[in-house]
Amino acid sequence: MCNCQTIMPSYEAEQHIIAATQHILKALGASKNLSDEFKRVLTELDSHLSTMTIITETEGGRFSEIEEQLKHAERKIIRWESDPCLIWDSGPMEATEYLQAVNEILIVIESLGGLSLSENGKPKEIALRAQNALQRAMSRLEEELCHILFQHKQYFKPQYVLLHSRAEGVFYDESFASVEDEIVDETSQRDGEDRESAECYLDLVDPCVIPNIKSIANVMSASNYIQEFCEAFIDIQREALYEYLSVLEMEKLSIEDVLKLEWDCLSRKIKKWIWIMKVIISVYLASEKRLCDQILGDFGSFNSFCFIEISKDSVLCLLNFGQAITTGPQKPEKLFRLLDMYEIMADLHLEMDSLFSEDNGSFIRIEYHKLLSGLGASARETFMRFGNAIASDASIRPFPGGGIHPLVKYVMNYMRLLPDYCDTFNLLLKDQDIDESNAVVEIDNGQDFSSSTSCPMAYHLRSIASSLESNLIDKSKLYKDDSLQYIFLMNNIHYMVKKVKDSDLRLFFGDEWIRKHIGKFQQHATSYVRATWSSVVSMLRDDGNTNLKERYRRFSIAFEEVYKNQTRWCIPDLQLREDLQISTSQKVIPAYRNFVGINNRNVSDKHVKYTTDDLEELLLDLFVGSPRSLHNSRRR
Amino acid sequence: MPATDQQASFLGRISIRRNQVISVDGNNDQELEDLELFQKHVADRFADLLSPPEEVASTEPLLSISWLRKLVDVFLCCEAEFKAVLIMCREHSQICKPPLDRLIPELMDRAVKALDICNAVSSGVDSVRQCQKFAEIAVSALEQKPMDDGQVKRARKALNSLLTAMTIDDKENRDFKGAERTRSFGRRGNTNSANKERAVGNFRSLSMIVAKNWSASKQIQAMSSNLVAPRGGEPTGLALPVYIMSSVMVFVMWALVAAMPCQERSGLATHFQIPRQLTWAHSMIGLQEKIGEEWKKKEKKGSVGLLEEMQKMEKLALSLIEFADGFQFPGDTEKMEEVASQVAELAEICGKMEEGLVPLQTQIREVFHRIVRSRAEILEVLEHAAKISQPTT
Repeated sequence: MCNCQTIMPSYEAEQHIIAATQHILKALGASKNLSDEFKRVLTELDSHLSTMTIITETEGGRFSEIEEQLKHAERKIIRWESDPCLIWDSGPMEATEYLQAVNEILIVIESLGGLSLSENGKPKEIALRAQNALQRAMSRLEEELCHILFQHKQYFKPQYVLLHSRAEGVFYDESFASVEDEIVDETSQRDGEDRESAECYLDLVDPCVIPNIKSIANVMSASNYIQEFCEAFIDIQREALYEYLSVLEMEKLSIEDVLKLEWDCLSRKIKKWIWIMKVIISVYLASEKRLCDQILGDFGSFNSFCFIEISKDSVLCLLNFGQAITTGPQKPEKLFRLLDMYEIMADLHLEMDSLFSEDNGSFIRIEYHKLLSGLGASARETFMRFGNAIASDASIRPFPGGGIHPLVKYVMNYMRLLPDYCDTFNLLLKDQDIDESNAVVEIDNGQDFSSSTSCPMAYHLRSIASSLESNLIDKSKLYKDDSLQYIFLMNNIHYMVKKVKDSDLRLFFGDEWIRKHIGKFQQHATSYVRATWSSVVSMLRDDGNTNLKERYRRFSIAFEEVYKNQTRWCIPDLQLREDLQISTSQKVIPAYRNFVGINNRNVSDKHVKYTTDDLEELLLDLFVGSPRSLHNSRRR
Repeated sequence: MPATDQQASFLGRISIRRNQVISVDGNNDQELEDLELFQKHVADRFADLLSPPEEVASTEPLLSISWLRKLVDVFLCCEAEFKAVLIMCREHSQICKPPLDRLIPELMDRAVKALDICNAVSSGVDSVRQCQKFAEIAVSALEQKPMDDGQVKRARKALNSLLTAMTIDDKENRDFKGAERTRSFGRRGNTNSANKERAVGNFRSLSMIVAKNWSASKQIQAMSSNLVAPRGGEPTGLALPVYIMSSVMVFVMWALVAAMPCQERSGLATHFQIPRQLTWAHSMIGLQEKIGEEWKKKEKKGSVGLLEEMQKMEKLALSLIEFADGFQFPGDTEKMEEVASQVAELAEICGKMEEGLVPLQTQIREVFHRIVRSRAEILEVLEHAAKISQPTT
């Protein structure tokens, strides 16, 4: 304490010394002789003074200069504390001055840095005041920062565009009844729009305030308050991202909620999710990353720390929805949505990896990849189940009229959508064991092994077609009438061939498959003609026991019976119907004409119920699907 | 851990069994033995959690991060063993018959709820991490020698943010549709200091991932409401392991919810009961009682959760804030020593959090993915069994 007093005399003590000195000077002026004792005291004072001068001139001078500097800075900082306005709202000059004040404090602290602070005294006092002022300034800067970020955040509301929804409207219901042929003709334009938003940044914060934020970051970092800066920055930006997600109408749903959703609603949400994923990852987060780089680029790991803290929660929320989708039941109609989800995530995965490339981002990267492979597995599983569901779809009653079974319509229309996803599909199916016996059965002599027919998807498609065919054979056995079995198989296989030929499926099934299946339905047609008409025509044959009249009569009855039955049957495809009518005519008409030609003189007209022309005309009524009868009515 | 070896052999057997599909020579004794072992392992693992060896007890107190990590491990072990028991069961057809035709879907339902809980708890870990960040600021400020006014104020501000982040009512989770911030910007000039220290991190507990109106407490309640111990006379061997696994799942989820900041947990203590007569459940009941007691004590006071480190952190923060409020340079020597030791303690907690929280979160994700996978596998078994049993019934 004594030391303190010598170095820095208090004002009062100073006044005493001044008074005493003046007194001494007065006394000195009055006397002319100095006693030895007096001289000794004065010499002592002199030497004392000489050492003191050094202190006042160097240390003391410097301290007072430092103190002045601090006072100046303190004043500016304190002045703002009572000002209701925000500094950065009050103009660039004000802000610059404030930052200048903080820098002055930092200079003060630095210039005192060499002195031991445990030492008491003037330097200590200045140092304490400086630290205190710095803390107040930092607190203020944090507030200013939040305000700037909050006031200058910018959104753009992207227009909700449905991204390549290629597979609309394939609904699955147990009866397969809802499928119509027309609905899938929208397998539409995709690509093109996919990549257009790449490299697109948003200004999440008005660019004109970026230098301000940056200068706050710099000064807070220089003051060793970077952690506070980061927490405030994260807090505001994370909130802004939440808000943006709400602008995009992203809902917070628990997994349990998602699992309870009806398919239509779920499907809509999936499409929305796909779009949001794209916007958030390739636009918003890329922009956020850029913002972090701009502001925190010089601060090493704080940069990635902030970015991850800002985005983690929202990204996990998005991934969680995907997870909920893979957790739900694997119904066939989900396949296309799963593939859409898989594709968008596969598209974005490089961007994602670079956004979260640092070590501390590995948690998110890993979750992302887990979901990606989960979606892949789920899509694969769903597809396999689809195949199994076809194989095991059992009917109890025969399908009326022998027409196109809804299962076939469903499966073929479903399959027609798959070629759009070919690359993804091949990737997903690559490592799957293919039931070779099932898949290869249709391509016996490797003639058309072009790449599209030998890719994994092609195998699987043919395998599904083959399950479908076996299923059809089982279903055909429900008909008691052989002829109707043939009609049913002919119809359905013809339908399959047509769907394959008229779509990209032909590339995967290959010409060989098509040829072979054309052969199959033609074979069924031939079998039909034989099964139905051989016996009818045989009525005309002379078996030695039956007279002519009776042969006419039996033929007519048999014909009428067929007519009654088979006008009810149905061949929806006009060309196919016509072809079959022609081959039927070719079997029946020449035989009948021949019979009538040989026998017309031996039998009276009344026994000849039908002329050749009649028959030809009547045959055209077959397979129309509207029952008619010839009994009791002559068509003349 | 012997349990791990056991687990390996179980898993080894699954694959064999799955290939054989229907094995003719498998014997019933083996199954009974597996079931016995399962019960024993569950009992042992929980006994270890309830009363760990002396030297562990001091470093891993109940509800500390490292204890929770152990708890999560216990869940993973039990789960693996349970699945082995279930999938290896010879008579898969019994899965589709009463009472399992009801019990297994109920288990699957619980699993889905557990997934949402995992998400909420994982997000709670992030909230704790944020508290850690504030505590670290306070520690670094208060470690300055000598301690000056500026640093003390800095620490006070960080501690205040810490406490605010801790005491956010866990009922409060806005839908982010209404995410307009209620910051008090632009109202400067009102210089009362409490207002000025706006706590950053106020909104941390409002997680994105937890749905609006979702309640951890209700989830636990729903998971346990239909949880009934099988009666002695019931014929099937699988009802018991299903019950055990369900209890383990509910208990672990319950403990995690109690420990970590989580949305809406009122009445958590009373939500589930395990019958006392079951030997494997003794330790679990013991733990439940201990934690339940703690919960009742803390419930009214806020929502930090029972995490040991958070409890301590809260106490230290309160004490240090009190110190900061009365601080005058240079501070009384005796007081300064006390503060130094509190700061050291806070630093130690931060260290434990730094070390343990990320691994804990990773483990919780592992639980999540495990439940997803098992659920899918069990559903597959179920489906398969249904297919086989259909033509005969």
